[in-house]
Amino acid sequence: MTARKRWRLIRTFGASPEFNMGLDEALLEANTEPTLRVYTWKPDTLSLGYFQRLDEVPRAAQASALVRRITGGGAIHHVSELTFSLALSLEHPLYSGSVADSYRRVHAVVAKALNAFCGIDARLRGTDQLASDCDGTGMCFHQSTALDLVWGGRKGLGSAQRRKRGRVLHHGSIKLGASPLDSGVATVEAEAGAKSALDLAPFLVAAFESEWQLQLVPSVPDAAERDLARSLGARSRSKNFVERAARAPRRQGGLGLPGQDSNLE
Amino acid sequence: MRPNDRRYTETHEWVKLDGDTMLIGITDFAVRELSSGNESDLVYCDLPEPGRSVEAGETFGEIESVKAVSDLNAPVTGEVVDTNVKIEEHLEILAKDPWNDGWMIRIRPANKSLDGLMDAAAYEKFLSSKKH
Repeated sequence: MTARKRWRLIRTFGASPEFNMGLDEALLEANTEPTLRVYTWKPDTLSLGYFQRLDEVPRAAQASALVRRITGGGAIHHVSELTFSLALSLEHPLYSGSVADSYRRVHAVVAKALNAFCGIDARLRGTDQLASDCDGTGMCFHQSTALDLVWGGRKGLGSAQRRKRGRVLHHGSIKLGASPLDSGVATVEAEAGAKSALDLAPFLVAAFESEWQLQLVPSVPDAAERDLARSLGARSRSKNFVERAARAPRRQGGLGLPGQDSNLE
Repeated sequence: MRPNDRRYTETHEWVKLDGDTMLIGITDFAVRELSSGNESDLVYCDLPEPGRSVEAGETFGEIESVKAVSDLNAPVTGEVVDTNVKIEEHLEILAKDPWNDGWMIRIRPANKSLDGLMDAAAYEKFLSSKKH
């Protein structure tokens, strides 16, 4: 018999942008047990990558709200998607080894969830060229690396991490339907018809449980986490932070392959 | 064997006494974890301006590799007196020579004690214990 390790599961659907970003950062900062969050956003929100400049995303103003994430990579328009976050120690086997190894493991879980949910055959991009890649938008889904999860020749999962004092925060965005800012990317709807985040979330939870022998226990943020989330969340949406003059990425060419922007997701 | 003229942290920074000041950088292990052996995976590094005070354990900068932003933690308390700005433009230096040319900041330490930090042998042992 193998005992299943218990993780926290926090479900917050239709939460505000500042709550979503504040709680994720609070879970990274807190020395709490491993936590999986599944969530959606209200209103629809564009999140910038930590080092991204606002002017790198020419259509950012079309989103109803703007925040800056503490994770890296490019901008994501959080609409018609299931967002998830993982916050846990880097000592956990899911994150041992290189950053690339951790992406392979997490993406394998997401691929399994999508397959079980609606039969999508999601794979790592590898050396394939994607129809969803395009320059100049600053959007995560329009840039790809070999580790990205794709289906139908297009990128379907946005991923980014922050590593801090022995812990990691991992963000993932699964596109359910099309967004005007993310044209041409892979969606669940294109493969399997219209689906809701509420329906997909249990499949993601089940995939983590079965792949990593976990028991995910529903939980809510405690008072200290909520307080921390409020102050950190206010920063994520503040004008100073959103419009800060983060410097431009150093170079192009992620993962050593030609034609990619290595800083964007 | 890694250089024994410095001390190491569990978050893979090194600190080396150099006269009245100390040099701080990250280890080859940290670079490899971030970049999977491909130096072009390191995309951005943000280091502090000289004059900033840092506490031991505090974040002094951030480094971004493909898909991860990681904090850089100060091994000792002190004042930043110099920053290796070449790193910000040429991150490949970190892969080529993390021990010398790859220093990140120079600190004037509050005191010169490196007690509580690992020597090279202890760091090697710590890395071995992390392997599964």
